[in-house]
Amino acid sequence: MILIFGGAYQGKLDYALDRFNLSEKDIFRCSDDNSDMPENKKIIYEIDKWILALVKTEPGTTDAVKQFIIKNKDAVVICNDISSGVVPIDPLLRKWRETVGRTLAALSRESDEVVRLFCGIPTMLK
Amino acid sequence: MKIFISGGCKNGKSYYAQKLAKAQAAGELYYVATMKSADSEDDERIERHQRERDGWGFTTVEQPADIENILHNCDSGGSFLFDSLTALLSNEMFPMDGDINVRAAEKVSSGLNRILDEVEDIVIVSDYIYSDAMIYDELTEQYRESLAALDREAAGKCDVVLEAAYANLIVHKGEEMFHGIYQKIL
Repeated sequence: MILIFGGAYQGKLDYALDRFNLSEKDIFRCSDDNSDMPENKKIIYEIDKWILALVKTEPGTTDAVKQFIIKNKDAVVICNDISSGVVPIDPLLRKWRETVGRTLAALSRESDEVVRLFCGIPTMLK
Repeated sequence: MKIFISGGCKNGKSYYAQKLAKAQAAGELYYVATMKSADSEDDERIERHQRERDGWGFTTVEQPADIENILHNCDSGGSFLFDSLTALLSNEMFPMDGDINVRAAEKVSSGLNRILDEVEDIVIVSDYIYSDAMIYDELTEQYRESLAALDREAAGKCDVVLEAAYANLIVHKGEEMFHGIYQKIL
């Protein structure tokens, strides 16, 4: 697995498409109203949205994330970093924020490579 | 050289930007002020920034919109501190008359590119507002997306790209060039 994260609009998807020479057909675009397992694509884009869908519908997300790691061992996983703002008042968004944080830590451990994007510029963290 | 600096709030962006602009000034040193005061809180912030710049030798150029106009009023061979893309885009996108200019990003981008073509020594400040767990309304999201696009464009054209992290600097681009000027601001 290769993990690419960074703030919103920092060029994460452009970087992945360019570096691995992929196109739109290779992308699984997650949505915050679909908690189905993202799989079978080379790029899993915005898993933070999938996690929000999970948090909305399920009491626990740990198993789903474990399954995700098993099913996406060879994928490029892209996630928005949502960890650095004010603690949200909405309890759902608080849970989302924490779950995304824990998931990113878990995915980082499983990944062969971890890249952070800042203004379109990659930094290799692992 | 052209330097782009961003980062979270109160991380030292303006402080480093001032030092860097000063360090590369051989002649004129300009502070391009983009903030338009909306209330007393803004007045205080502007006054604090002005006090902090006292004695640095900056000529302040107020340019809260139509950024390329600085090229008419300044010597393009001078050293510029442009603080900030964030305020400029906000002024252009949300003018005081209550309208919303959907083409603001295009306008800022064209002005910025003219400046980057003509000016050699400039420090551009922006704000990193992309890592919070909020779901924004469409307009705010459009503003964030536009500012990020401008950031990426400016970062692409600058020699050095810096991220301020609580009084530390992360060099994302142009390590060698940055090293030379950093010796002067220590």
